[in-house]
Amino acid sequence: MFIFEQLFVFFQQIFYLIANPINVFILFGAVLLGIIFGAMPGLTATLGVALLATLTYGMDTSTSLVALLSIYVGAIYGGSYASILINIPGTAAAAATALDGYPLACQGKAGKALGLTTTASAIGTLIGMLFVITMAPLISAFALNFTSFEFFLLAFFGIIISGTLTSHDLAYKGWIAGFLGLFMACVGRDQLQFYPRFTFGLNELDGGLEVVPVLIGAFGIPQIIQVLKDKVAGGEAKRFQRILPEFTEIFHHFPDIIRSSLIGVGIGAIPGIGEDIAGWVSYGAAKNSSKHPERFGKGEISAVISAETANNSCIGGAMIPLLSLGVPGSPPAAMLLGALMLHGIQPGPMLTFDHPLFIFQVAAILLLASFAMWITGMLLAKQVIKVLRIPPPVFMPIIAVLCIIGSYSLGLRIFNLYLMVPVGILAYFLTEMEYPIAPLVIGVILGPMADANLRRALMVSKGSFLPMFTRPVSLILILVILLMVVSQISWFKIFTKRISNKMFSRKVNKNIS
Amino acid sequence: MKKLFLLIVVTLCVCISFVLFASASYPERNITNVLVWSAGGGTDACNRVVMAEMAKILGVNINVVNKTGGAGGSVGMNYAYSQPSDGYTLCGLSESCVTAGVQGGFDKRMNVWEYFIIGGSPDVVSVTPNTPYMTLKDLIEAAKKNPGEIRAGASAAGSIHHLNLLALEDGSGAKFNYIPYTGSAPAQNAAMTGEVSVVVTSVAEQAQLIRGGKLRPLAVLIPESFVLAGETLPSAFDSYPRLSEYLPISQAIGFAIKADAPDDIKAVLIDAFKKALKTDTFVKWAEDNYYVVSGATGAEGVEIFNKLESLFAWTLWDLKAAKVDPSTLGIPKP
Repeated sequence: MFIFEQLFVFFQQIFYLIANPINVFILFGAVLLGIIFGAMPGLTATLGVALLATLTYGMDTSTSLVALLSIYVGAIYGGSYASILINIPGTAAAAATALDGYPLACQGKAGKALGLTTTASAIGTLIGMLFVITMAPLISAFALNFTSFEFFLLAFFGIIISGTLTSHDLAYKGWIAGFLGLFMACVGRDQLQFYPRFTFGLNELDGGLEVVPVLIGAFGIPQIIQVLKDKVAGGEAKRFQRILPEFTEIFHHFPDIIRSSLIGVGIGAIPGIGEDIAGWVSYGAAKNSSKHPERFGKGEISAVISAETANNSCIGGAMIPLLSLGVPGSPPAAMLLGALMLHGIQPGPMLTFDHPLFIFQVAAILLLASFAMWITGMLLAKQVIKVLRIPPPVFMPIIAVLCIIGSYSLGLRIFNLYLMVPVGILAYFLTEMEYPIAPLVIGVILGPMADANLRRALMVSKGSFLPMFTRPVSLILILVILLMVVSQISWFKIFTKRISNKMFSRKVNKNIS
Repeated sequence: MKKLFLLIVVTLCVCISFVLFASASYPERNITNVLVWSAGGGTDACNRVVMAEMAKILGVNINVVNKTGGAGGSVGMNYAYSQPSDGYTLCGLSESCVTAGVQGGFDKRMNVWEYFIIGGSPDVVSVTPNTPYMTLKDLIEAAKKNPGEIRAGASAAGSIHHLNLLALEDGSGAKFNYIPYTGSAPAQNAAMTGEVSVVVTSVAEQAQLIRGGKLRPLAVLIPESFVLAGETLPSAFDSYPRLSEYLPISQAIGFAIKADAPDDIKAVLIDAFKKALKTDTFVKWAEDNYYVVSGATGAEGVEIFNKLESLFAWTLWDLKAAKVDPSTLGIPKP
């Protein structure tokens, strides 16, 4: 009965929202703006939400909420465009998408990939939304098991997993790249004691290395040099492109979609980490559970679907701690928190008493935004693919200019360019030596989290590492990390193979006897 | 000759009347408030509400522009300072901007500005509900018995909440195990997970958790008690009068104008500012956001910021987190 009542309130909210034509207009406008923000390297979801937070200050609360959530959903989805088409992730959240999305585009399947990611993103957002209304209290209780030790291990896990997944030959190379990123994250004032590290007296380095210029430099510059040097033709777009995916195809990938959505919601619900990790973890899970893990990295559709579903369902997940604890689950959600406070809404445990309909409103907007995203995406994808027809010698310099503008636009700092170019050149040589770049960027993104949380955890435990092994969640994380590292060592591989062979042969023997 | 004299007199009259008219009619165009923190933060929200009310009173628009970055908001502050002192550029700032100088972001002392202090939310000491401490006395006595054992969370070293915690330790003689967080929200979240049992953040930041019964407030760190949703939070000064030597260190959110701006322009702004703080919209907003409204301007405002400046600057210097020796800037020791 209670569920029906909830559903009734929920649909009532949807009706109220679409009854107002301005809302519908803003819904589509903000989704489109979000897709553009997501697709442009340098303009991030966080930046988009921040921009609209100021612009919508004068509007009434529900209208501005429509704008903010729509741009958030649109931007996380839009990142996949640049990942698939030019191999430069539009946002950090779409870095895992590029791994298989770009090979697909090179095979002339860009249309199919975009159609599937659009649908997968929409379904991901919807599943995230379902969790917002049904599971919020449960999940936020789970999130409370995360203290500094767990946050450190989670960040460490994120770096290790992206290192393991992205290396073509040796996982060690991925980890090395990850640790390079981790080192780069140490530059700047440390977050706890405010002490300047590796700043060489430069004021610009005080705030640390900005993620966006590093992201653009590391992904953009090697790609530009590579394409211009090798005269690689981009993707093929001439063949007939069917964007709208077939129902059977979606159905075929349904297990991927469900698994990735759950991962996305779970990761989104943990405060402080966001869509980027969700994409990686989901990619890893897809690879481990796939029957053809060897196809990953060479243009596997289910890999693209997994990464894109997870980063969009992460939005719903990030709403859960935001609404129930007042703690943003991801960086764009942090901007959202600020915007809500501007409108006099203070999320937290008392939210359901102060604004009883608010959670339903958020869920209703997420539902509408995912529909708007699907429609806009389907219409847009067909046009966007045409960029592949532009010859690379013309297209790549334009991308280069956009990269520069993207880096500079963040705070209008010329220093960002001085940062972007050396990082890009370093990244180019690393790619030449077949080191993966994604772990380096993930290291820069997660480094501050790993660093501050480990040191804080040791302050709490007065220097003892013991709690790491006595706390259940932290113990599980340690075991997972250990397993991941050990599984790359050759004798361990042989060992497991032997064991499985023996067990298998024994079974066969039994059957025979 | 007569004609020439007449002409001179007439031109003079016109000129004088222009000058008089011009200064009497400030503001005659839109005013810009350069806000040094990002959109959506406390300083931003508070400034926008007050600017909207002042714009109605002054009859011109006041555009709030966020110009963030640098140490202690120095990018926005330097920009605002480079603009002419004609009253058309204001600088929206908060107490933490006083650290810009010792961090090498602003090469002047903070008394080059004159302040319009809106106010801020007072700091409150709270504990998690499963701890046995019912009053501030219980907590302090327990901390004295086991110095450095009780974990207290606050935002990073050198932040306003950290300074409040330090002052509480100095004034009461207790010693906590200070655990720094990257902001107030993570610190409060750590209290939820049980990582710390004491939190020092502002009433506004804790209001939801206090009302939801997830934190038990013990005392506010200002001389007067504070009423939160019908519940009176006692002042820490009641149980530990010696705190008055170190506290209050209050948030000072507001805006500033260059100190060398003409006095009549300042007078117009002060008048509009005081009126804006009395409007129903602002009073309700301040109440909803658990603010203690200050309203300090002129010499009073400068003195508040001078105190904050010396306190923050020397604390950072003692933490070895300052780049510039505060004494070279002429900042006196607190």
